[in-house]
Amino acid sequence: MDRSLFRLTPSGSTGLIFAALCFAFLPMLAGSYWLSVLTSAVIFAMATSGVAFMYARLGMVSLTQVGLMGIGGWVMLRLNYLFDWPFEVNMVLAALATMICGWILALPALRMRGLYLALVTLMAAGGLEILFATYQFPNGGEGFWGVKIGSSDPFRRPWLAQTPEAYLRYCIVIATLGFLFIEGHRRLFPGRAWALIRRSEAAAMAAGVNVTLYKTWAFGIAGAIAGASGALLAGSLGLLDDGTFRASESIMLFALAIVGGARFWLGAVIAAVLFRILPGLLNTWGVDTDLALVIFGAGLLHALITAPNGIAGQIHDLVARLRGGKP
Amino acid sequence: MTRGSWVNWGVYAALMAGIWLALAGGMPFKVTGMFLASGLAIGSLYALGGIGMVVLYRASGVLNFSAGAAGAAGAMTAWQLVQWGLWPPLAWVGCIAVALALTLAYGRYLAPLLAWRETVVKAVATLGFALIILGLVSFIWIDDPRSLELPTDQIGIVLFGLRVTATRLMAFAAAIAIVIGIWAFLGRTEIGLQMRAVANARDLSALLGIPIRRVETIAWGISGLLAGFTGLMFANLIRLEPVVITFMVIPSIAAALAGRLNSLSLVLVGGLSMGVIESLLTLSPVLKGVRPIAPFVIAALVLLWSQRGTRLTFGGRD
Amino acid sequence: MIQIDAVTVRFGGLIALNEVSATLTAPVAGIIGPNGAGKTTLMNVVSGFITARSGQVLVEGQDFLRLAPHRRAQKGLRRSFQREQIADDLTVLENVLVQTDWSLTGARAKRAEAMEMLAVVGLADHAHKIGGALSGFERRLTDVARCLVGAPRLVMFDEPAGGMSVEETDRLGDLVLQIHGLTGAQTVIIDHDVELIRRICAETLVLDFGRRIAFGPTADVLADPKVKAAYLGTEEVTA
Repeated sequence: MDRSLFRLTPSGSTGLIFAALCFAFLPMLAGSYWLSVLTSAVIFAMATSGVAFMYARLGMVSLTQVGLMGIGGWVMLRLNYLFDWPFEVNMVLAALATMICGWILALPALRMRGLYLALVTLMAAGGLEILFATYQFPNGGEGFWGVKIGSSDPFRRPWLAQTPEAYLRYCIVIATLGFLFIEGHRRLFPGRAWALIRRSEAAAMAAGVNVTLYKTWAFGIAGAIAGASGALLAGSLGLLDDGTFRASESIMLFALAIVGGARFWLGAVIAAVLFRILPGLLNTWGVDTDLALVIFGAGLLHALITAPNGIAGQIHDLVARLRGGKP
Repeated sequence: MTRGSWVNWGVYAALMAGIWLALAGGMPFKVTGMFLASGLAIGSLYALGGIGMVVLYRASGVLNFSAGAAGAAGAMTAWQLVQWGLWPPLAWVGCIAVALALTLAYGRYLAPLLAWRETVVKAVATLGFALIILGLVSFIWIDDPRSLELPTDQIGIVLFGLRVTATRLMAFAAAIAIVIGIWAFLGRTEIGLQMRAVANARDLSALLGIPIRRVETIAWGISGLLAGFTGLMFANLIRLEPVVITFMVIPSIAAALAGRLNSLSLVLVGGLSMGVIESLLTLSPVLKGVRPIAPFVIAALVLLWSQRGTRLTFGGRD
Repeated sequence: MIQIDAVTVRFGGLIALNEVSATLTAPVAGIIGPNGAGKTTLMNVVSGFITARSGQVLVEGQDFLRLAPHRRAQKGLRRSFQREQIADDLTVLENVLVQTDWSLTGARAKRAEAMEMLAVVGLADHAHKIGGALSGFERRLTDVARCLVGAPRLVMFDEPAGGMSVEETDRLGDLVLQIHGLTGAQTVIIDHDVELIRRICAETLVLDFGRRIAFGPTADVLADPKVKAAYLGTEEVTA
């Protein structure tokens, strides 16, 4: 079976159908609180896909994805109050700015062994947390930082998506495009280079692959996706809080990406549900949300030790077994 | 030491001197000296955290991100014991004991399950453990402002015309003493020799009959003891808050990177300079808000500098 | 033609290669020597994974040691490792295509060449099989096919017959003999299988303890008493 760019795998078609169903029905199911939570979950699913593919396909660990989302959100907010450009333009600029900032932050580690990228991104996450806490997020004020006391100026949502329901649909579309963007890369020559790099960086170099370039490229994609997600989050909430982008959040997102299953789109969805919806549910049931940390930590250890493909991987195996094939 | 590391020492010293002149040049030493003392104390803790990481990493291949969390658990336990009326020195021992127990538990029961995985995976797993500890500690103790006092807080010692609290002096002295102690241990005892062998070539050491498990356990033990001590000191010198202490692992990593995950003396001087520079930045009206970033920036610059002119090579094991 | 000129490699105090020089002109050349002689180190220097303390390597007049490893591959260097390096997630064809992804020639032409080389190694029917499903020998053959695409000039094999049966080794040897005719490239092969070396290599370099101890036509080299001594030791007779 020749593997062309536009082939539709069972997993892929399931994903597209899932996205379509969400698009159609999700906004109708929820009241305004849960609408916001669901939108947030969709956005974080997109951000997770960025960090997950880097780990699954290249073994690269980035512990600062949520921090990068913060950069995207900051740029979106600043542009929103500075100029009159449409939401989409701001989102693209936010994605590009985050990509570049991500490169600057990761630069010390991209030519070194994988461990160093984890360390450098962890430090970056810490640094970004401090920056956001110190300089806050723009809300219509003057100057570079654009922060003012008092209530914030209004935020301009996309022309197509003014209501919360429409915005949720908008996010679903953008997130799906994000997933397809990554998958497209995987099916073309970058994906081939990444697969060989995963196998052995030496072999990749011997095959003419510029390993640093491809690793940088992958990190750039993750950064751009984080930037776009952050921009969408700004659009959803209208304002952003530095508490959303703490270092611990980036660490948890990465942990959940593994727990969910870094190789699969379903894994990113599961990760986002756990990340955004589980704490809400715990709250509703009167359980201390600190225990979510314990669950996530234990889940990460379990996934690393016994189930490297995460929950989504186990679901895939189950489905394969039920269909009678080899798992 | 090689000429190369003398150069590194020189660079750190020059950096500290430069920042000092830039920010503190015109002010009386009585004022700026306070920042220097405070910076040296915190820097000592960064260095100790870094040293614990490097010793364990070299001996076992695990970069332990949960050291901060273990320290936080220990510090909260000590606080609780004091609340219950226990004689404080015993509570501090309790702090170190809890951190040691948690670290050894991981090293003995969980780390072996990942022994053959990549270094990154082993490190990420310790993150999972850190989350578990942090979650439990946050669950057990509700979010409240607390403080951990040591009797040395009340004692002031006059040095070079400055009044320095004994606690800060203790942190600094401890860092120096521990580095010397570990250096002596690694260089002069048989176990230390075995640990260096394992750090250098694990498979060969196993073939030579070196008891890997025992060496590793000792390394985990050292890591746990240091985690407990630094947790206690961070609780006193910075803040007794589980999240804050847990994430003190980040500047410790910065210090470890300053030593290229290898040289203890460079971790020491790197950590000290990070603490000092961070503290001195308080004097800069522009940068004082973001001074906690100083360790990261320094570590990033160190990494970039160490890569100049090199390609990705495969000569050694790292 | 490959000119290795006084290449020296040191790892700390250990001298892994000591002023090794040789000019390889035969279509297939061999490098042999006892374990630890420096054969793989020499190959690593040529392919760029180890930096030589001094010396030069010229491939068809091109100074290789200045280039980054991936650039050497783009200039016609091909290398296979002691363990075959096939990505489990890619098909056989995709594994081969990686080698030519850097060049801007048309995708159709590259694909056709890849299929042609797969046919040469005998894997044309398996072109769309996933790497993870291949046998050890099939993986090695994919490795070989990858070395043949994209106008190679120097193909290096590091113990390619490791872990193979007699038939598989023979087949591999036949393939190596075809390389020069197919692509015009020179092949250098490290192996311990002396029969394989004798059969396919016109000239052989022998290393021991980082030094060249013999170089020349294979038959002469294998008969050289110094070479025998290096492998088998000199005889000590005790009465």
